[in-house]
Amino acid sequence: MRYNLTLAWHGLKRYPRSTVLAVITVAMGVAATMTTLALLHQLTADPLPGRSGHLYLAWVDTVRAKPQQSQSLNDITVQNYHRIKWDDAQALLHDHRAIWQAPMASVFTEIRGEGDQAKKHRNYVLATTSEFMPMFGVALRSGRGWTAAEDQTHAPVAVIDSEMAQTLYGTADAVGRELRLGHGVFRVIGVSAPFSLQPHFYDLAAFSFGDQRRDQVFAPVSALLDAGVDLAGSDACDEDGPKKTTLFETDAAHCSSLSYWVSLPDSKAASDFHDYLQHYVQNQQALAGYGKTSRAELTGVGAWLSRQNVVPDNVRLNAWLAGSFLLLCMANVAGLLAARFLRRGAEIGIRRALGAPRAAIFQQHVFEAVLICLLGGVLALPLTLFGPWTLRLQDSGFTDLAHLDPAMFAALFALALAVGVITGWLPAWRASRVEPGLQVKSA
Amino acid sequence: MTNFAPILSALRRHRLATALIAMEIALACAVLCNACFLIAEQLRLLHITSGVDESSLAVISLDCDGCKGADLNARVTAALRAVPGVESVAVVNAVPFAQPAGYAGISLDREHFIAVPHFYAGGPGSVETLGLQRVSGRAFQADDFQIAENWLPLNTSVWITRAFAERLWPGQDPLGKEFWSDKYHFRVVGVMAHLTPPDPGGGHGDSGGEWSVFVPVIPGESLHGVYAVRASPAALSRVLRDARDVVQKAAPEAVLDLQQSRTVPELRADFYRQTRVMVGMLAGVIVALLLVTALGIVGLASFWVQQRRKQIGIRRAMGATRGDILHYFQAENFLIVSAGIGIGMVMTFALNLVLMKFYEVPRLPAYYLPLGALVLWGLGQLSVLAPALRAASVPPVVATRSV
Repeated sequence: MRYNLTLAWHGLKRYPRSTVLAVITVAMGVAATMTTLALLHQLTADPLPGRSGHLYLAWVDTVRAKPQQSQSLNDITVQNYHRIKWDDAQALLHDHRAIWQAPMASVFTEIRGEGDQAKKHRNYVLATTSEFMPMFGVALRSGRGWTAAEDQTHAPVAVIDSEMAQTLYGTADAVGRELRLGHGVFRVIGVSAPFSLQPHFYDLAAFSFGDQRRDQVFAPVSALLDAGVDLAGSDACDEDGPKKTTLFETDAAHCSSLSYWVSLPDSKAASDFHDYLQHYVQNQQALAGYGKTSRAELTGVGAWLSRQNVVPDNVRLNAWLAGSFLLLCMANVAGLLAARFLRRGAEIGIRRALGAPRAAIFQQHVFEAVLICLLGGVLALPLTLFGPWTLRLQDSGFTDLAHLDPAMFAALFALALAVGVITGWLPAWRASRVEPGLQVKSA
Repeated sequence: MTNFAPILSALRRHRLATALIAMEIALACAVLCNACFLIAEQLRLLHITSGVDESSLAVISLDCDGCKGADLNARVTAALRAVPGVESVAVVNAVPFAQPAGYAGISLDREHFIAVPHFYAGGPGSVETLGLQRVSGRAFQADDFQIAENWLPLNTSVWITRAFAERLWPGQDPLGKEFWSDKYHFRVVGVMAHLTPPDPGGGHGDSGGEWSVFVPVIPGESLHGVYAVRASPAALSRVLRDARDVVQKAAPEAVLDLQQSRTVPELRADFYRQTRVMVGMLAGVIVALLLVTALGIVGLASFWVQQRRKQIGIRRAMGATRGDILHYFQAENFLIVSAGIGIGMVMTFALNLVLMKFYEVPRLPAYYLPLGALVLWGLGQLSVLAPALRAASVPPVVATRSV
C-alpha cells in the first residue's frame, strides 16, 4: 500500500501540467459547493439545540367565522393559520397539560426609558407569559423572570436584554428601573443576555433571520394588553367581535394573534397533547353554527420550519447549481485521469506481467486520484473562505450568517476525499483491466 | 471535407475518456442554459419599471402611536414644504420599494376572489408628486378625494395599472368597470402605464407583475405618516437630509423610521440587494464553468496530441498537410462536443423540470438550447485550437524516430 502511494505520488509529478489542471478544477468545484452548503448549513441549523426537539406549536381553530370567509385581506390562506386567541391561550395555560407552555407574539412598538422626556425607541417586544424564559432557555444576567402569579395579576414587569438596558439607561444594571410601553409604566425585574434565535422560529410572522432584529424586551401579555399595546397582526377574527376603529388594530380577545408553544418530553406526551387539543376544540359550544370541522394541530419545530419555507429559495437553488457544477468538474477530472492512466498502458502491462495483481494497479490509480482531489481540497479552502467573505461584503440580511465552523472544514475534506474516490474509480478500474502481454509486446 | 471514419475508430480506442468529456459537455450545457435563464429572470426583475419618478423622489416615514393623523400631516407637510429645493409634498400610504401598505383580495362579483393587488392611497397632489403616468381615462378631481372609512373610502374612483386591467378584463376597455374588496367598492376611471407594488415579485400576484390600484383619499386618521417628497435629482440627497431634520423638529412625538426614510433610488438598490448577490453568484458559476470546460478540453487534447506524436508524424510523412492534421483535431472535438450537446439537451430539460417543480422557476424557452449549443461548440473549437496547432506542427521526421 505504501508502495502504491509512492507510485501514485510519482504519477502526479510525471505530468505536472495536467496535475495542476486537475487540482484547480477540483478546487473550483469543491469551493463552489462548500460555499453554498455553508450558507445552507447555517440557515437550516437547529435554532435551539437540545430544546427544539421538545417544542411544539399548538393550534386550535376556534375563530367564530364561516370557513370560506376566513380569507383575510392580507392574502393569508387558511393553511397558514397557526395563532390562537388570548382567551383560548388562557384556558390552555390554566389546564397546564404540558411541562412548559407559553403564548407569544413579537410586537414592534415604542419603548421608552424613565421620565417624560425620555427618547423613544422602536423595537421588538415579546408579549408572552412566565414560562417562556425557562422553555426557550433565555439566560438572565441579573434579576429574575416573572411568575405565573404575576401573569394572573397583570403585573407590569419586564425583562430587557443587556443591550436595550445600555441603550435606555446607559448601564446594564437596570433592575428596578422604569420602562414605558404603550401607555403603561413597567418595572424592569431582570436583564437577560441578548436572545437571538436563527431563525426567529417561534414567531415568524414578525421576522425570520437577522442579527439586528430580535426581541429586546419580554413582558407579560396581560400587562401589555392593559397598557394598550397592540399585538399587531392576526390570522382571523370572530365575526361577532366588536367593530374595529382602524383596519390594522388587533383585538386579542377576538382575533387569533398569539403563537402557542409547548414543551413536551416525548412523542407519547405529544400525541396525548394533540388529543387534548382536539378535545378542547370539540367542546367549544360557541363554534356551533359556523359549519366548521374541528381542527387542532401540534407541529414540531422541524416540520414547522419546513412548512413555513424560511430558507430562501435562492439559497437552495444555488446549492443545486453548485452541485451540478461539482459534478461537471468531476467528469472533467475523470476524463483527464482516464487519458493519463491509459497513456501508461505499457507500464501497467509490465507491472502486471511482473506479478502485480489487478487490485494493486487499481489501488495505485485510485490513490493518485485521491491525492489530486485532496490537493484540490487544500486549494479550495481559501476559495471557500473567500466565498462567504464576498457574500458578507454584499450584506443582505441572512448572508451575515455565512461563516465556516470546524464541522464545515471537516465536511470540506470529506467531500474532497469522496470526490477523489468517485472520480478515480472508473479510470482506475479501466487501468487495472490492461492486459499484461499485449502492452509489453508493443512497447 | 474531413472523413469522420478514422476519427471515430480512434475515439473508440479512448472510449472512457471520450465518454467522460462528452458527459462534462452535457453537464455544462445543462448548467449553462439554466443559469443563464435564471440570470435573465433576475435581470428582468432588476429592470422593472416602477411607474413613479424615482430619481426625484424621497420618502419620509414616521411611526406615531396615538397621534392625531390630520394634525401630524399638517405639521409635517408644512415643515417639508419649507425645505429649500422641495418641489412638492404629498401624503401617501406607500411608495415603490418602501414598506408595503396594504394588499387585499378583490372580487368582480362580491363573491369570488380573483386577485390580490396592492392598494396605494394618496392625498391631493400625490399623482403629480409621484409622477404617475396616465394612459387613458380622466384625471382625479377634487371631489374624487374622500374621507376613508377605516381603510379606504367606501365608494371611490380609482386608477389601475394596464397590466392589472388586462388581468381583470382581458381585451376589454377597463374604464367604468367596477370591483369590490370586502365592503369597499371601486370604479375604474383611469389606467396607468406602470405602478409596481412596493415589493415587486414579493409573492403577490404574478412575479414582478404590476397589480396595483391607486385610490384618492383625504389624508387623516387612516392616511398619515408616509410622505412623498419631490425635488430635483441633483438636490435630492441634500433635501432628504434636511427633511429628516425638520420633520423631527416638527413632530417630536413621532419616531422617524430611518430605514424607510430614504430616497427612492436608495430604497430600490436596497430592495434588490439580494437579487444582485444572486446574479453575481450565478455569473460566477457560469464563468467558472466555461473555464473548467475549456481547461478540460485543452488538457485532454494536449494529452492526445502528445500520445499521437508518432502517428501524426507518420501521417505527415505519408503526405498529409498541416491543415489535414489541424482539421482532424478540430473535427474530433466537434464530434465529442456534439455528442455532449445531444445528451446535454435532455439534461437541460431535466434540470429545468427539477427547478420548476421545487422553485418558482418558469419553463426554459426553447431558444436557449441552440444558443447554448453554439456557445459550447465555439468554446470547444477555441480551446482545441492551441493543441491542434501544436499537433499540426509535428514534423514528419518524427515518424522515423523510434519511441
